[in-house]
Amino acid sequence: MTDSDTRLRQAVGKALAAAERVPAAEFDTVWAAAVARAGIARKRRLLLSGSAAAAAIAVIAFVFHTPAGDEWRYVDRYQLLETTGWSAPSDSLLPHREFDIYESVPVLIESTEAYGGTLL
Amino acid sequence: MRDSDVLDNNPHISRSALEAIHGQVFGWALSRTGYDRSAAEDLVQQAYIELLTGKARFDRRSSLKTFVFSVVQNLARSRYRRIASRLRLLQTAGHGAAEGLEQPVEPQQDAAVWRAVQALPQRQRDIVELVFCRDMTIESASRVMGVSTGTGRVHYDRAKKALRLTLADHGEKFDD
Repeated sequence: MTDSDTRLRQAVGKALAAAERVPAAEFDTVWAAAVARAGIARKRRLLLSGSAAAAAIAVIAFVFHTPAGDEWRYVDRYQLLETTGWSAPSDSLLPHREFDIYESVPVLIESTEAYGGTLL
Repeated sequence: MRDSDVLDNNPHISRSALEAIHGQVFGWALSRTGYDRSAAEDLVQQAYIELLTGKARFDRRSSLKTFVFSVVQNLARSRYRRIASRLRLLQTAGHGAAEGLEQPVEPQQDAAVWRAVQALPQRQRDIVELVFCRDMTIESASRVMGVSTGTGRVHYDRAKKALRLTLADHGEKFDD
């Protein structure tokens, strides 16, 4: 640093010191306020994360406890014994079929004819 | 450094180390807020919160003073960005001049030197302040300002030239 730099530095430093005649806030005061605010922020963050976790658990519980479309259905056995007809449960993989065991089963067992492209 | 002094979320910073540089940090915050004492206090407090919560983490890549000055500088920048955007929003909403939002007011200084410093572009003013008044090297000052050392050096040289020219007009001689 040259002499002129030093003189310039001193002049600017003096001018700035005059501008900064405002006394600095006490460290202890500022620090205590910062600690308090940081504590509040931490509590708020914990509360928020707790609420988010609770909401996530509630959503998961709701999803797992929602009854599925294809539930087990219980049929009264007397209702079953009253009829010889039976209806196969149907879904996209199993085509809906209805047959009477006294009428259809003997045909199914004894037939050598093709039924719907398949040899029965 | 006493163990009890160390911040939980910033293991390389102690309360006593911060206390030792508090006066300088407050001075820097004052300059960032247009010499508004309460705004400066708020800014320093916010900087301490960043350190306490570990949002700003000191990893010893610079001195603590340089690091804390950078935190203050960044907070001041984001704060003024917020104020400026709020002002723009209020103006576009037809409120004209925003009420309750004061622009930083420069202190009235008679000294020609002070006026010359205040007339410098922002970055030149910052580097002059950091190097001349806050006892920082050009490298540290550049780090605080978020520019490369080369850029900092350019700002520093231009600032010195501009100051010498302005002060020479006022009869002050700072040439060799």
